[in-house]
Amino acid sequence: MVLTKQELKEVENTFIGLLKSEIGPLIKSYTGTNFHSYDDKSNGVDLVTALDKQIESLIKSVLSSKYPSFKFIGEETYVKGATIITNDPTFIVDPIDGTTNFIHGYPYSCTSLGLAEMGRPVVGAIFNPHLDQLFHASKGNGAFLNDQDINVTKRPLILQKSLIALEGGSERTEGSQANFDKKMNTYKNLLRESGAFVHGFRSTGSAAMNICYVASGMLDAYWEGGCWAWDVCAGWCILQEAGGIMVGGIRGEWDIPLNRRCYLAIRGGCDQIEQKQFAESFWTHVAGELKY
Amino acid sequence: MTIDLSSIEKFLCKLATEKVGPIIKSKSGTQKDYDLKTGSRRVDIVTAIDKQVEKLIWESVRAQYPNFKFIGEESYVKGETMITDDPTFIIDPIDGTTNFIHDFPFSCTSLGLTVNKEPVVGVIYNPHINLLVSASKGNGMRVNNKDYDYKSKLESMGSLILNKSVVALQPGSAREGKNFKTKMATYEKLLSCDYGFVHGFRNLGSSAMTMAYIAMGYLDSYWDGGCYSWDVCAGWCILKEVGGRIVGANRDEWNIGVDNRTYLAVRGTINNESDEQTKYITDFWNCVDGQLKYD
Repeated sequence: MVLTKQELKEVENTFIGLLKSEIGPLIKSYTGTNFHSYDDKSNGVDLVTALDKQIESLIKSVLSSKYPSFKFIGEETYVKGATIITNDPTFIVDPIDGTTNFIHGYPYSCTSLGLAEMGRPVVGAIFNPHLDQLFHASKGNGAFLNDQDINVTKRPLILQKSLIALEGGSERTEGSQANFDKKMNTYKNLLRESGAFVHGFRSTGSAAMNICYVASGMLDAYWEGGCWAWDVCAGWCILQEAGGIMVGGIRGEWDIPLNRRCYLAIRGGCDQIEQKQFAESFWTHVAGELKY
Repeated sequence: MTIDLSSIEKFLCKLATEKVGPIIKSKSGTQKDYDLKTGSRRVDIVTAIDKQVEKLIWESVRAQYPNFKFIGEESYVKGETMITDDPTFIIDPIDGTTNFIHDFPFSCTSLGLTVNKEPVVGVIYNPHINLLVSASKGNGMRVNNKDYDYKSKLESMGSLILNKSVVALQPGSAREGKNFKTKMATYEKLLSCDYGFVHGFRNLGSSAMTMAYIAMGYLDSYWDGGCYSWDVCAGWCILKEVGGRIVGANRDEWNIGVDNRTYLAVRGTINNESDEQTKYITDFWNCVDGQLKYD
C-alpha cells in the first residue's frame, strides 16, 4: 500500500489541526515557567520534562485513533535497539524539539510531526507557537509557511557565501576521537579564513527549526550529528517539497536512511548541480567521521 | 539642561517602527548584489541601503534634536569620531547585516542615546518578527510599547549559574589571527564538560537583538569582541533597566565604556543579587582562553 497524494494531504491537515488547536497553546503556556525538577538525560544538558512525555502521549492518542493501522515512534517512547523504522506508514514525532530552549524560555521550541512510508518522509508539520510559524508539507503537495507557499528566491549557492546552522549539542566529552572535538574542528574549518570562510553560522537550538529555516531559504544549510529520526523526519519532507535536499553529514553519503544520525540539509532555489557541488565542498571541511 | 528621556524613547520608537522598519523588512533578502567592504572574500557586508537608512535616521533626529551629536556606523571615522559628554545619538541603521542579506529574520535597527557617555535611551526594532524593545534610564523597559514584567520573568528563570545558562556567541567577520583563536578556544571551554559546561549557545547574528533577548529573559549572557558602540548602545540601556550588567570580555574589565569593543552582558537576577552576577562573571572569565584586543 502506498498512500495517495490526497491521503497524505489529509494527514498534513490532521497535523495542522492538532498543532494549532492543542499542542501549540500547551507549549506556549508552559515555556520558560519554572521547572525546578527535570531529569538529566545526557550530561545534564539535554533536559527532559514530564510535559514532554505528556504531550507525546496526547499526540499518540489523537493520531492512533484517526489512523489505527499506522505505527508510531516518538522521542519519549523510543527504546534503543527495539524501535525500528519499517516500510509501514509510521508517525515519527518529537513532542518538544529544542527542549533547552523550552526550559529557558528562548522562543525556539516547537513540535515536529512527521509521517514516513517505505522508510522515507512523506508528511511533515512543525509548529513554533512563540513566533507563530507553522511549516508544513506533504509529498507532491508543496511546502508552506503558515498559509503561504514556500518559494525560495532563485540565487546562487556557494559555500563561502553561505549562512549555515550549527549547534553545540549535548555531547561534550573531549578527546581526539570524541564527536565533540570533531564537531568543533569542523566548525573551525568552516569559519577560518584559510578554510571555507563562510559568511556566518547561526544556532537556534532546535534541529527542526533549523531545517525549516533552510527549507524556506532563511539559511543556506544545516550540518548536524547526533540528532534522531524524530528531529529530522518532518523537516526533511518540508525541505524536499521546497526544493532542498538532505544528504549525509559525511563525504559521499548521497542517500541516507532517516535514522542516519548525521545529516546535511541544503536549501533549494538553485540547480541540483549547485546543491551537489555545495555538499561536496562542505564535506571536505568535515573533520572526521561522527560515530553514534 | 534636563532632557526628557521618555519622550526621546517615544520619538525613536515611532521612527523605528514607522520609517526604518518598513524599509528593512521590504529590502531584506532581496540584495543579491552587494559591495564587499574590502577584498572579495571579506565577510563584513555593507549595502547602499545601510547608508540610506542611516541618512534617514540622521535627518529625522537632527530635525527634532538639532543640538545633539550623532554617531552612526556608516558615518563613523576611525580615530576621529569620539563619544563626548554631550547628548549623542549612537545608532546602527541595520544591525545584523549578514542576516539582512541572507533573509535570516534577525536584522534590526538599533537606536541609542548617551549623556555623559552613559547609554540613557535604547530602542531596538526587528520588523521581521515585529518586535520593538525599548527603555530609557529610570523608566524601565517596554516590549511593543507595553511595560515589561521582567521581575516575574527573572523569577521563573531561577539562579544565574554558568553551567545552567544559555550563552550567545558570535564569531564575527574576522576569521584569522589572535582574536579568532581566542574566540574559538573560549567557545570550546564554555561548552566542554570539564570547564563551563553551559546548557548551550545560541547565535542570532545580531548584537542588538541578542541584548534585547537577554533583557527579555530569553538568554542568560552574551560574550563578544569586535563590535562597536552602535552595536551595543541601545541594548546596554535596555539591559541596565532590567537589572542586567555589562563588563568587558576579558578578565577584570569590571568598568568599561560603550566603546570598549569587547563585552560580556549578563542578565538581571531575582532581588538584584549582585553577588550572583559577580560570581557568574568571574566563572565566565575563567573560561576565556586568551585576550581579545581591537585597534
